[in-house]
Amino acid sequence: MLRRIEAVLIAAAVATAIHPHAAIAQSAGPAGWQNDLKPIAPADWNYDFAAHLLERAGFGGTPDEVQALAKLTPAQAVARLVRFQGTDAGHLPAFDHSGIHDPGLEPFPPSRPAVTDQAKKNGEALGIKVKPAGSRRVQPVVNEFFYWLRASALETNRVAYWWANRMLTSPQPLREKMALFWHGHFAVNEPKVRDYRKLLDQLELFEAQGTGNFRDLMVAVAQDPAMLTFLDAGVNVKGAANENFAREIMEMFTMGVGHYTETDIREAARAFTGWNYVDLKFVVNKDQHDDGEKTFLGKTGHFDGVNVIDIIMQQPATADFIAGKIYRFFVREELSPQLQKQLGSLLRDHDYQITPLLETIFLSRDFYSPASVGTHIKGPVELAVSSYRKLGLGNVPGVPDFNVATGALGQRLFAPPTVAGWGSGTSWITPGLLLERANFGRDVLFPDINFLPPDRYTADPEVRRVADRIRQGMDISTATKPDGKSGDLAESNMAADRDEDFNTRYGSFRSWQMAIERVKPIPRDAAQINLSRMVLDQHLKDTTQVVDYMIHRFMRVPASGEAREKMIAFLNKELGTTDISVAQTYLEDPLRLVLHLIMSQPEYQLG
Amino acid sequence: MKKHFSFSESSRRDLLRLGMYGIGVSAAAVPMPLFAQAAAALAGQSKSAGKILVVLELSGGNDGLNTLVPYGDDAYYRLRPNIGIPRKEVRPIDDHFGFSRGMAGFERLYKSGNLAIVHGCGYENPSFSHFTSMAYWHTAAPNSGEPYGWVGRLADEMAPEAPPNFIVNIDTRQSLAVRSRHHVPVVFDDPNKFSQEVFFDEREALKPSSEGVKPSSNEAPIANPSRRFLLDTAQSARQASALVREAWSRYHSPVDYGIVGLDLPKVAALIEAGMPTRLYYTAYRNNAFDTHVFQNDTHKRLLTYASDAVAAFLKDLERIGRADDVVVMVFSEFGRRVPENVNLGTDHGAANLMFVAGKQVKGGQYGTVPSLTKMDAGDNLVFTTDFRRVYATMIAGWLGLKDTRQLLNGEFEPFDMFRSA
Repeated sequence: MLRRIEAVLIAAAVATAIHPHAAIAQSAGPAGWQNDLKPIAPADWNYDFAAHLLERAGFGGTPDEVQALAKLTPAQAVARLVRFQGTDAGHLPAFDHSGIHDPGLEPFPPSRPAVTDQAKKNGEALGIKVKPAGSRRVQPVVNEFFYWLRASALETNRVAYWWANRMLTSPQPLREKMALFWHGHFAVNEPKVRDYRKLLDQLELFEAQGTGNFRDLMVAVAQDPAMLTFLDAGVNVKGAANENFAREIMEMFTMGVGHYTETDIREAARAFTGWNYVDLKFVVNKDQHDDGEKTFLGKTGHFDGVNVIDIIMQQPATADFIAGKIYRFFVREELSPQLQKQLGSLLRDHDYQITPLLETIFLSRDFYSPASVGTHIKGPVELAVSSYRKLGLGNVPGVPDFNVATGALGQRLFAPPTVAGWGSGTSWITPGLLLERANFGRDVLFPDINFLPPDRYTADPEVRRVADRIRQGMDISTATKPDGKSGDLAESNMAADRDEDFNTRYGSFRSWQMAIERVKPIPRDAAQINLSRMVLDQHLKDTTQVVDYMIHRFMRVPASGEAREKMIAFLNKELGTTDISVAQTYLEDPLRLVLHLIMSQPEYQLG
Repeated sequence: MKKHFSFSESSRRDLLRLGMYGIGVSAAAVPMPLFAQAAAALAGQSKSAGKILVVLELSGGNDGLNTLVPYGDDAYYRLRPNIGIPRKEVRPIDDHFGFSRGMAGFERLYKSGNLAIVHGCGYENPSFSHFTSMAYWHTAAPNSGEPYGWVGRLADEMAPEAPPNFIVNIDTRQSLAVRSRHHVPVVFDDPNKFSQEVFFDEREALKPSSEGVKPSSNEAPIANPSRRFLLDTAQSARQASALVREAWSRYHSPVDYGIVGLDLPKVAALIEAGMPTRLYYTAYRNNAFDTHVFQNDTHKRLLTYASDAVAAFLKDLERIGRADDVVVMVFSEFGRRVPENVNLGTDHGAANLMFVAGKQVKGGQYGTVPSLTKMDAGDNLVFTTDFRRVYATMIAGWLGLKDTRQLLNGEFEPFDMFRSA
């Protein structure tokens, strides 16, 4: 009993010595601060508050980075993060295109049957002519079709890497975090958009205007080719309004369900008719635009899409909806209706300028109340990036693959499953995903030597089988026959493409080959970690101090006392001593194991 | 002869060996009493002992009219001059209806009397929003608010003591349908990934405390609700992961599930291994059936995959010897508008078909076929059966919970759909 109290006191003393403003437990304001939007006072400010702010307004940081914020006043710290005062992100490199696009690819047909029909009808498609004679006359067109699908998907993975590196290294992390928020809000995905350039343009829009004005952002997004593609806006034409676009703008992006009728949707759809894009440019096809009189949300006029958006902005529901969503992303899931109305008013009173809302939130007592501190369950991208930041990495490792890792955890950049984006909070966590998060930690600290880069090695066994057979000299028909299974073949396996003009399975293989030739490979360096250096630089003397330092550095909510003791016992066993100076030459592996234990704790998910 | 893994026959040695596969699943953490507890829960439901319900959700709004084509109705071709499926392309089941060309599996099931088709399922004041309508189906609370899913509430009633692994939801995230007050559903996507791989030396340090979620005596009770949730989930993960991985590694089926098996092979694997789960929930995910543009090629493919998968699943159950104990219910959050749109597709609609398949199902057509001429103001099919009647059929008729009034918040008369009462 006495020993336990002793250990607790020593840990407290150590922690206080390392960080003058820290206590061993997460520090937050009094419970009464909940729902209070009044700003905290400079006297309230401390290391833990600064750490909390950096965690939410950015992706967390090293103790040095937190300390730098802690030295400022709260107002200065928030101004630095939200208004980017005193920071410059101009040195971050622009995206390095592989150069995979061919002009003949525009406009890209909606399906393989559409492109082969086009080829047969016009004698060419995608800028490629149909062969005048011989077998598989349409094959080159089919290859080009699949080539673009593959290459765009691979290049999108590179765009995701570029973005993840910005999240990791930008001196203006809120810009990237806000872009992540908007990406989940104005959700589009690569499988439908099928064009990495549109996704990159949309991302750059979020980075440039993400903390600006919501009304302007909504208009820009509604005219953004990625969104126009995703919501079938291009087929929304006079006389045959396609409601998808109008519905999602109102239901998902601005007001939420219950603030409009089905008639409003139909009228709004009319206002958006003719909105389309050519290559990467927004256009309005005047002859497809219905400029007749519409009645929308009680107003009547010859509205176009911009007018409709402005009317939507006038609805109180819009400001409340958006402010509430921003709050849930940055503060906590539980939001009282009164507080939501207050936040909505804030947004409305500032004409939908986002920065004042963020500033108020990040300076508020509510933000530093116990209900808000340490209660946020990190999404996968947040988890990965904050882990990398706390490790002090200078770039996102190529092993494990960032997209595969975050995708396995349920959030892959540019691949939200539907226009609703991803869930949040507890919906990130299932028993399976909790285990998977711990496995992510292991993959970072102990890179898999059997790692196969997904941008060079396709996981599709069908494609690999065809590749082998072609290399062995088989003819295309034989090479592309599916593997027989015992018993009846399923209907779908028997209905293989029989059209002699082309072979889709061959196209699937050849296109992969064409794509990996042109898409630049993602560098596959493992994380450059040196935990020994980190620990020795802190002049930590014994295993207890080491474990406490690491818990404090990497966790926002500490593990249970029992877990902590197990970790100390573990480190003692691995080192064969409690004395760090004795063990200093073989510290690295044991420290990585301890960090893996930390990243395996349920509490590691909290920020 | 390969040793067949089965939970009910596990020896203590097997359980110890299990501990090798998943952290924390030592003999102490998964004692025999756990299985005994699960067995007792089953025994309590004497009529439905061992009966399993599998729900297959087709997300995106499956077009029922092009699934079971009313080729005998002129109105269908009048309203769908381009995407209507020609008479010669359907697989007729009678002189009025026929399945989409690719649905050989469903045709076979129907003709052998194992597929029930329920016409015109929907609800009053239909929502045309994916998310909203799906939420209504998930909660069985249309035009209302309800935090827990119908499958979750069902589990709470069937087994209020909430034995682990009662609900399995195969997906990357938990469906609202299985959200439960007392149960922690087992949610996983890839059985191979459903484990924490720890290094040998770490095992001791990661072994759970015997109490799991309760804090040790000199720590404050857990005030942080997110933290409490995470600890609960961690406990569920430990218990379930070893069982699932073992079942999957033992599963080798010669049955061909087609190009996209959906998650039904995983369900078959768990059933074969004797997992105590009674309620399985899977989905054809990501609004795959939301066919707004150029519908026919895509839709036919999707239906082929779904039909192949369900038919194969039932065949696999026959091989496993559990065909009498399992029923599959298939639904979508709405049908689609009757007239085609200008993009050779269809927009969100209302009433739709539901399917129920299984050896104990009395095959045939249930409910009333909705009219293609008397539609609602938006040219959508008007529902003739509240979908909760089909839920009630599963709950009362199949699983044996006779009184569904509280669960479904209303009186919904079940259909007489099963051979064994």
